Amino acid sequence: MFRNQYDSDVTVWSPQGRLHQVEYAMEAVKLGSATVGLKNKQFAVLIALKRAVSELSAYQKKIIPIDDHIGISISGLTADARMLSRFMRTECLNHRYAHDAPMPVGRLIGLVGNKMQICTQRYDKRPLGVGLLVAGYDDQGPHIYQMCPSANFFDCRAMAIGARSQSARTYLEKHFNTFLDSDLNDLVAHGLRALRDTLPNEVDLNTKNVSIAIVGPKTPLRVCDEAELTQYLSLVEGEERRGGGAAATGDAGPAPEAGDERDPQPQVNNIV
Amino acid sequence: MSSIGTGYDLSASQFSPDGRVFQVEYAAKAVENSGTVIGLRGKDGVVFAVEKLVTSKLYEPGANKRIFHVDEHVGMAVAGLISDARQIVETARSEASSYRSQYGAPVPLKYLNERVSMYMHAYTLYSAVRPYGCSVIMGTWSDYEGPQMFMLEPSGVSFSYFGCAVGKAKQAAKTEIEKLKLADMTVKDLVKEAARIIYIVHDELKDKQFELELSWVSKDTKGRHELVPKELAAEVENQAKQALADIEDSDEGDM
Repeated sequence: MFRNQYDSDVTVWSPQGRLHQVEYAMEAVKLGSATVGLKNKQFAVLIALKRAVSELSAYQKKIIPIDDHIGISISGLTADARMLSRFMRTECLNHRYAHDAPMPVGRLIGLVGNKMQICTQRYDKRPLGVGLLVAGYDDQGPHIYQMCPSANFFDCRAMAIGARSQSARTYLEKHFNTFLDSDLNDLVAHGLRALRDTLPNEVDLNTKNVSIAIVGPKTPLRVCDEAELTQYLSLVEGEERRGGGAAATGDAGPAPEAGDERDPQPQVNNIV
Repeated sequence: MSSIGTGYDLSASQFSPDGRVFQVEYAAKAVENSGTVIGLRGKDGVVFAVEKLVTSKLYEPGANKRIFHVDEHVGMAVAGLISDARQIVETARSEASSYRSQYGAPVPLKYLNERVSMYMHAYTLYSAVRPYGCSVIMGTWSDYEGPQMFMLEPSGVSFSYFGCAVGKAKQAAKTEIEKLKLADMTVKDLVKEAARIIYIVHDELKDKQFELELSWVSKDTKGRHELVPKELAAEVENQAKQALADIEDSDEGDM
């Protein structure tokens, strides 16, 4: 199981100049179910696949609103995500109080990045085991940011993270040129199709396991209710599916993708 | 490198029997895996150029920059782990702003460099932290001191340079830089050379996509660190592509 002697904690560089503990934390993101983020000229959209831990439990929440203009979708350790979301909410509130204006999305991401970096450099801490997709709208327009446990963040046109997300990224890479000029319905439909590509063949999207959040101009962040979900799901209903977990082609994502296609069954109940 | 794996290379607070601190050397390895960054200091300013490797086409073009403003008059280009580098940028910014508030004047680069170097060096002393996995180049221009440029390494060592390079192709880039008469050149000339060097040293086979980032701080910008204007950046980038194509053509002729 142990890859080598240089992976015991985050303060140890490997001779190749790698940080194995940070790389392992990146793996935690792939344990969570997939989530997709994408945007057109006006709107930023998050779409998440929810999982139920057991027959008796509800589907676990994946999308957390941060402020009127920012929302996040999480994949990985839930508790770590809650810590971050509380920090982000506090920062947004403080910014509103100090500047009487909403927090610029890029600024918030920078703050979170610097907070997360500290956990990757100290013996008494561990990197956070959660990946985030952040959707936001500010005076620069809509944004989708990806955040990794390595404290890296990326300004994206579209992105997918979580279990089997390579399939979703492949879909997004194929179609992202059309996103900017598509309307909101088409955009959500693209997101749903990308998310559906991460599912095994016997499972399909429904109002229970899908969560959608939309933010845009004069559209404060809203997590769609069941009626709206039904309406959006009908956009892609009955379409022919590309084989589940289709060949992962195209440029690799930000992280090494080995093991990305693992079976996305929930193992423990602290991961969403 | 016979001491690798003998247990003396697991902590920054431990020497190996032959007197080396391996953890610092390994941190420097992380920098060597990153895209190439060069800094050129001419007679009237400093130019930065970054080969920013783009690992996914889903990223927003032009975003996720590797060149930062530290203060109005100081620019910083970074190589290595970008998350580590942002922490250095943050430190440099707070040093610069506290100097401003205490002395009412822009921070001299020599002083800023000393402070940031000390900060980076502190992370090579203790087992509870790891050395930073990034190198940074800082540059400025002022009326009374002219152009100045420093490069800081993960070990906390820093030197002033006329031209410097870090990252994957630092050797090739240094060879190219050495051919230039830096002290006689203006930033207008340097920006062309910088773009050309980045294009030449880029390894198309190993890293497909990259974006060129250019910034400068010079007499012409009145001592302000600014991104190279879009039109000029596009122009020098095209010239760089042309220069590369010419080289490839002549290579084929030799065959």
